Amino acid sequence: MMDGTLALGAEAVGCAAFDAGIKGAFGYPGTPSTEGFEFVEAMIKAEPEGRVAQWAANEKVAYDLALGVSYAGHRTLVTMKHVGLNVALDAYANSALTGVRGGLVLLVADDPGMHSSQNEQDSRRLAEFAWLPCLEPSTVQECYDFTLRAFDLSENMGVPVMVRLVTRLAHCRAALTRQPTLAPTGLGVVPRESVQDWVLIPSNARHRYVELLAKQPRLLQELAVLNTLTAGTSRRGVVVAGMGRAYFQQLTLEHPALAALPRLEIAAYPVDPALEAAFLAQVDEVYVFEEDYPVLEARLGLRESCPVHGRLDGSIPRTGELTPRQLKDALALEVEAGKAPSSLDLPIRAPRLCDGCGHLDAFDALQEALRALGRSDARVFGDIGCYTLAAQEPMSALHAVVEMGASISMAVGAALAGQTPAVAVIGDSTFGHSGLPALLTAVDSGANVTLLILDNRVVGMTGQQPSQALDRVERLVLGMGIPAAQVRVLAPLPRQLAVNVQAVQDALQHPGPSVLVFRRECIQSLRRGVLKDHDRNEEARLEQASCSPESQP
Amino acid sequence: MSEPRVHGIVLCGVGGQGVLSLAQIVLEALRRSGLFTLQSEIHGMSQRGGSVHAQVCYADVPLSSPIIDEGSAELLIALEPLEALRYVAMLRMNGHLVVAEEPQRDMDGYPPLADVYAALKAVRGAHLVDTEDLARRLHHRQAGGMVLLGLASTFLPVPNSTWREVIAQRFAPKGSLVTKRNLEAFDAGRGLATAPTGA
Repeated sequence: MMDGTLALGAEAVGCAAFDAGIKGAFGYPGTPSTEGFEFVEAMIKAEPEGRVAQWAANEKVAYDLALGVSYAGHRTLVTMKHVGLNVALDAYANSALTGVRGGLVLLVADDPGMHSSQNEQDSRRLAEFAWLPCLEPSTVQECYDFTLRAFDLSENMGVPVMVRLVTRLAHCRAALTRQPTLAPTGLGVVPRESVQDWVLIPSNARHRYVELLAKQPRLLQELAVLNTLTAGTSRRGVVVAGMGRAYFQQLTLEHPALAALPRLEIAAYPVDPALEAAFLAQVDEVYVFEEDYPVLEARLGLRESCPVHGRLDGSIPRTGELTPRQLKDALALEVEAGKAPSSLDLPIRAPRLCDGCGHLDAFDALQEALRALGRSDARVFGDIGCYTLAAQEPMSALHAVVEMGASISMAVGAALAGQTPAVAVIGDSTFGHSGLPALLTAVDSGANVTLLILDNRVVGMTGQQPSQALDRVERLVLGMGIPAAQVRVLAPLPRQLAVNVQAVQDALQHPGPSVLVFRRECIQSLRRGVLKDHDRNEEARLEQASCSPESQP
Repeated sequence: MSEPRVHGIVLCGVGGQGVLSLAQIVLEALRRSGLFTLQSEIHGMSQRGGSVHAQVCYADVPLSSPIIDEGSAELLIALEPLEALRYVAMLRMNGHLVVAEEPQRDMDGYPPLADVYAALKAVRGAHLVDTEDLARRLHHRQAGGMVLLGLASTFLPVPNSTWREVIAQRFAPKGSLVTKRNLEAFDAGRGLATAPTGA
């Protein structure tokens, strides 16, 4: 046992999945969820015994892989960040109708405050949307305990279970107490007589939807133990969930008088309306402390039984991360003054591309080519990855960044609308994630677009995980139907600048889709030797192939 | 009645300086000293040369909040002087600041260094450390973080033997020479513990 081992909240979820006896773990990297997969991947590598851990091309693929493991009768974990669940939403929402065989747990990590994301959407809303249960831990130990519970719940109720974290918890490090590890035993594949449950043609789906709704009352019963009402002597009450629950718990240590407040603690959704009613009967005024969207606050407000304070009435700022200080201010607790902030004007130290990064050379070539053609006004559609940083001053090299894969389709759309030259810039991993179908449409449309694929051979920003399109980006592009004459592989190096500028100019002047693959390994992964084994094996394989008799002319 | 005190430490610097691994050493040392601990850190984009910070909380009762409020930290360990100024307001009135003088100036609009030092020296309880000079004298280019930790350790309820044990274990995978040099740097920092250099 590794009792007392330090783990991040996300890692605790991965650890619990291993101990719950999973057969497979899947995911797509995304801050702050990445460490959940990496932790369980390391455990599986150390003790495989038939278990598998596999990064997927995107979150939807990851979710469907997990659903396949569940169908085969085994427990499985799938991990992603909040916006990744948008990509997997088709699979997630419809898996509510199929239900599960082996327990399926979804780790999703939200990012209120947008530390590393393009929005701060709240995954609890998506669980509600899909009629699926969501467990919301508030401590690292709960991340572990709730995940174990989620597997049992998933199998007992026959539905996938979401475990929802936020950045502060996913990246909170604390000591963990583990339970004994269960062997990855299976329940057996979905039996013949239940196969129709998994075939979502309308006649079956209608039936399954009725059954899903019929599960809801029993779900409330199963979850009741996680949502607790504590009576108090005050007529002011608090509703706390997630980090709001953690912060309030700690506040009561410092301010014992807060124990007089009736308290509704929520750790599982959906919430029983009867519990809410019982709480509201005890109070004349309510404060709601939850992380991200005002989910519980909006529900209580609809009852119009008393004033409800939170993000909707401005007691807590409407956007951004919840903080302990916001709880103190809302509750009018005294705050001790500390040191004065520095009076010196402090310029922001923005993250930037590493010195020597190949992306810098690719952007140099693009910008110089556009200048040479007198088209510095051209709009460049960017994508999600380290290279997004090029949108900042002074480079200002990207003029739109929306979501994974958008660069290609937006450039095609703009080109079809007459906005040329239309340029798209996308990384190799993002290309594999959702650029492939976009490129297929680009070819079909014949639109006048120039696509730069910045291939650094890894998923750079999230910690240099393997890229699924490793060393075959140009083959994928050719296979999609871009003519060979319009596909170039280039080395983004300062000494190659002239060659690269000319190649970009040629591509820009070609009146149809063309693709430039700028390939140079991420300097961080190079320094860490991430691909060393892969490259050595690949070299040996090629050598062997060239020596075998069949390959002789 | 006296309520249980929650203690907070803030560590800050620039991506790549080792802020998070320093925070983990502090966390482990406090934990081995029988205290309840929590650490909060932010990953992702900040790896790319941006501002990085972590918080470590400890108390003699179980904790649930990994972050502390402005004005409540008792110690700020800063691997970079300008970054230190961003977090000064996290310190309580009588909190301590242990800060490296060596700047990381690869950014736009870095203020004149003299202004940065003056602002730091105006902070009561500030300890400015010439990490560059110490690193030279120790013949250990990356000694800075361990030197700061050595000085900072004198403000924390952890026995010297525990610090040394945690540091030794942390660097053990990198060999005995690396371990020895980091312990030397830690000791050099501990030896700096005198009166604050600030106001």
